Amino acid sequence: MNLNTQFVFENKTKTLLIGGMVLGAVCLGLTFFNDDEYHTRFWTNWLHNSVFFTGIAFMSMFFLSAQITAFAGWNSVVRRVWEAMSQFMWVGLILMGVIALGIWGHFHHLYHWNSLDINITDPEAPHYDRVLAGKKSFLNPVWFTVGTIGFLLIWYYWAKNLRQASVDQDTMETTELKYYRKQRKWAASFLPLGGFLSTVFLWQAVMSIDPHWYSTMFAWYSMISMWLGALSMTVMLIIYLKSLGYLEYVTQNHLHDIGKFLFGISVFWTYLWFDQFMLIWYANNGEETIYFNERMTHYPVLFWGNLLLNFVTPFLILMRNDTKRKFGTMFFVALIVFFGHWWDYFYMIKPGARIAAHEAKELAEGKHGGDSHSSVAPTTTEHKQETPAQPAAESHDAAAPAATEAHAADGHTHAAGETHGATDTTASAAHADAPAGGTEHPEGEKTAEHPAAEAATNAAAHGEGHGHEHDESKAFKLGYTIPGLEEIGILIGFLSLFLFFFFNQLSKASLVPLKDPYLEESLHHDTGALIEGEGGGHH
Amino acid sequence: MAAENTKVLYGLYNDEEDLKVAVKAANASHLDIMDVFTPFPVHGLDPILGLKESRLHYLGFIYGATGALFGFLAMTWIFVSDWPTMYGGKPYWSVPAFIPITFEMTVLFAAWGMTITFYTICGMWPGVKANTLDHRITDDKFCIAFDVTSASDSAVDNLKGFFKNTQADEVNIKTM
Repeated sequence: MNLNTQFVFENKTKTLLIGGMVLGAVCLGLTFFNDDEYHTRFWTNWLHNSVFFTGIAFMSMFFLSAQITAFAGWNSVVRRVWEAMSQFMWVGLILMGVIALGIWGHFHHLYHWNSLDINITDPEAPHYDRVLAGKKSFLNPVWFTVGTIGFLLIWYYWAKNLRQASVDQDTMETTELKYYRKQRKWAASFLPLGGFLSTVFLWQAVMSIDPHWYSTMFAWYSMISMWLGALSMTVMLIIYLKSLGYLEYVTQNHLHDIGKFLFGISVFWTYLWFDQFMLIWYANNGEETIYFNERMTHYPVLFWGNLLLNFVTPFLILMRNDTKRKFGTMFFVALIVFFGHWWDYFYMIKPGARIAAHEAKELAEGKHGGDSHSSVAPTTTEHKQETPAQPAAESHDAAAPAATEAHAADGHTHAAGETHGATDTTASAAHADAPAGGTEHPEGEKTAEHPAAEAATNAAAHGEGHGHEHDESKAFKLGYTIPGLEEIGILIGFLSLFLFFFFNQLSKASLVPLKDPYLEESLHHDTGALIEGEGGGHH
Repeated sequence: MAAENTKVLYGLYNDEEDLKVAVKAANASHLDIMDVFTPFPVHGLDPILGLKESRLHYLGFIYGATGALFGFLAMTWIFVSDWPTMYGGKPYWSVPAFIPITFEMTVLFAAWGMTITFYTICGMWPGVKANTLDHRITDDKFCIAFDVTSASDSAVDNLKGFFKNTQADEVNIKTM
């Protein structure tokens, strides 16, 4: 067994991947030209894939650092795969840079807090948004740039140095721990940097799409989603490389351990998903429940498909010992989990961005439209975000489009009549059969001054505006409520870009860290699992 | 352990790698190993001993599924029909609120079920006396045991020769 093998990036593979990128570019173009005036579909696809693939690179680095710090030795033979994956952060920097540039130049309308048409954070302005004014010090272009590009620069610097120390180690003449100690320093210091900064990165890039909404579970949940993307990608890449004849020393024992991670982290993802859902469901706070209400009523396939792909499938298939040791089964599960977490990011990004675009349109129309509309606009603006806060279980029943519409309109009447502020708890009380009356909002009195008639007209006008949106939000609207064909093409495009970069990096160094102090342990790694039909422990 | 008054010939090894080599050697010369005792689970030992995969985890799944069903149905019965209670305006049948209890019940049933099953299979009831071949096999010695109750002297000598060849640290005979 020759350890010093190097991956050869063949021209055939290169052509194939370039073809994939062209397909992705064509699909991106298609979504750009067949789109609304804000090119929401184009920009959400760009953001979605940029965050997802950058996240995979980031989590490869994070996972690798955690293992180096924990003195884990089993993984030496797959370490180069993660090192190469983590280098993609450099490309992610450019991809996210485009989004940041779009923020400054107002090219896109992904983020409502970055509204161009109106100044929503100015108390004097007609469209004043108190919630966003409060978050202004964080949700602004400067912070966005720091929180995405700035942090990626830091992470990439660490990933580059960690890999450099690892590659330099191969050239060592004698057995010493000089480069290993270097790696440990880069790895250990990356953990707090990655852990804390990724939270902010995800708040900025993904959570602020729903700028009124917040969840303390969000960063955990979406970071774990990236981790699973990285793990499933690792499984698929290892099996692919093995099929080409590389990595012959990666055995089913290594695969078994990665499989355990895939299984365990999938369950952890579900735990966090449910944590976020249940806390919000239980508290029943209007500005929080809106997030799930929107997704459960208008995106049911996306919502339930998420759980099916990312929890039910890996849980049931990977529960057994032997499935984690079979290359075919593992590839199949990894493919599902990979697609599942890509789906998960679609679920996080798309609905919020569509609301933001809809809102932008309403505001723009309100601004250019008649006087009557702009006078009621502040209320409508707020309630666009603060749609009814009925209990999740109830909205769940109201899945039928007709019922939903009636429900939503109903919610608006309540909302417009009763409350004004951001903490819209009364709407929920009105819906639930709670014995106690809703908590009166301090500002309730102020809004009550609005003549009832005006409020009603307002609600009606608003309902009309919504009707349009509801019509197009059937559960199966490809490209909008679930990924469409172009989205799959774009996924292939970004995946090809990722793989091109990955294979290129992989071919630059030996496929195994020859002088790694843990190499012997890794080469003789044995999980000790007893599987019938595997034919004895000749490991 | 086998029936009463079993005469056991056993050898003690100092290292699990030595033990694995010895077991392979015993297999090669068709010696009938009664059992192997180690202070900790030795990876890769089960297959060379020809042990079958444990079926305990199938039971674990059944216990877990029972627990999940029990937890969920119990919550449903209690909060919907037996003692309907309204919490924060939620419906009586609040599925998300039942999930944590369902989860806990799954774990509880699976854990207790598998523990009790395991102890029953091994005959480990309260008050059972520990029937240990040599107390050092619970600490730092790795042991291969042969049943020599009805073995001829030459067969016993043959086994002793095997222990010597495989660098056993110590060889003893014990009737238990």
